[in-house]
Amino acid sequence: MLRLVRLLQSFFCLGHGTVLLVFLILLSVFLRKSSDSTRENIAAGALASVYYPGQRILSSVNQIRSLDAENERLKKENARLRMETVDAREGLKELARLQELVHFDNKWDYPIVTARVVGRSLGRLLTTLVVNRGRAQGIHENMPVFTVRGLVGRVARVSENFSRVQLLVDPNMKLSVIEERTRVVGFLEGSDGVSLFAMIPANTGVKVGDTLVTSGLGGLYPKGIGVGIVRVIHQGDVDVMCHLSVEPFQNFSRLEELFIMQKEPDWTVQEMLTE
Amino acid sequence: MIRILKYLFLFLCCVLLQTSLASWIRIFDVAPDFILIFVVVAALRQGPVAGMLWGFVAGFSQDVYAPVEWLGSQTLSLTIVGFVIGQFEERFLTLNLPLKVCLLGFGFLIDDILYYVSIGVDRGNFPVLLVTKTLPECLYTMLCGTLIFSFVFRNKPQRTHVD
Repeated sequence: MLRLVRLLQSFFCLGHGTVLLVFLILLSVFLRKSSDSTRENIAAGALASVYYPGQRILSSVNQIRSLDAENERLKKENARLRMETVDAREGLKELARLQELVHFDNKWDYPIVTARVVGRSLGRLLTTLVVNRGRAQGIHENMPVFTVRGLVGRVARVSENFSRVQLLVDPNMKLSVIEERTRVVGFLEGSDGVSLFAMIPANTGVKVGDTLVTSGLGGLYPKGIGVGIVRVIHQGDVDVMCHLSVEPFQNFSRLEELFIMQKEPDWTVQEMLTE
Repeated sequence: MIRILKYLFLFLCCVLLQTSLASWIRIFDVAPDFILIFVVVAALRQGPVAGMLWGFVAGFSQDVYAPVEWLGSQTLSLTIVGFVIGQFEERFLTLNLPLKVCLLGFGFLIDDILYYVSIGVDRGNFPVLLVTKTLPECLYTMLCGTLIFSFVFRNKPQRTHVD
């Protein structure tokens, strides 16, 4: 066994490590070019086995670090919330009256779970977060994740006590949005892990500074969660669609607490759309 | 074996720094890359073989937390960075601190360029990302690297050849 290890070592070190370099590059290219399911299995296997203890340690350290600050912040927040509760009660009464008036269909009537961010994607671009809520707390894949400011993303993967949240800026994130003022429906996606882009029909009167919210189409996100503000409009003279650069309502790198809406995806809608 | 455990411990420390300290000292969304600093230290100290092995480990660790479509991108770029920086150590056994910091910056640029190419960043966005993200983070990493290098490279490395 030892001889085999030495043999492999001397083989890989041939040419000052060139053999090993070629081997590792081929391995990386294999990871890069393999099918989505294979990559998914590799990443899931690694996270569940090799990286699980490390993730536990990191989340514990992060939790300890944030306890003092969180305690102080919660005290202040508690005082503020007490004040706001009185206003909120009045607001709720008014809302109930208004809902009755406009027959508002309350689609947000889902339980909300609070979660704390315990990990971030280590790569150059922040596209995923790890939160301390999982299957044990009733979290499932594809549940919407948001803050008081607006939509953050969706639950992409769930383990027993942790979940991975796919952020809006993830290039694989796509969702239907509606512009609040003009009620034009469009399509939003993260292009390169940094910025958000939306596509809407041209000449519909959308202006810089308008607000995009979720449209509720597709069955994944409920209608009306804020997504971002239109910052730049790119449109040619003959284009039928215009591209919008959208500034999200929150800085994803500074997120600490999130809310997960326990809303199961409405796959019936998806099926009817694809029929 | 002890050396591997020592570097594994250092790697865990760097991951801890990356996930905690990096967000504290973030300036205008620009944070240093402690994991790259670790790979460069390993490569400069132990040469290309160890450099690329630690680059592979560090890159894969970053990849499993990135979108699954990008799996292998950071692995590839950090492996190559480990190999390239390790070559410098083999050729010039006595490097002064500024040269090591320059190598760190060089490694950072290689890493980011390979990474952007690998994940398929648009040709239009490429220079924008280089100027707005890579360059500031490279300078910040070099600044942090100067402090870490002056601590790590206080003593002359005790090199052991694996081949």
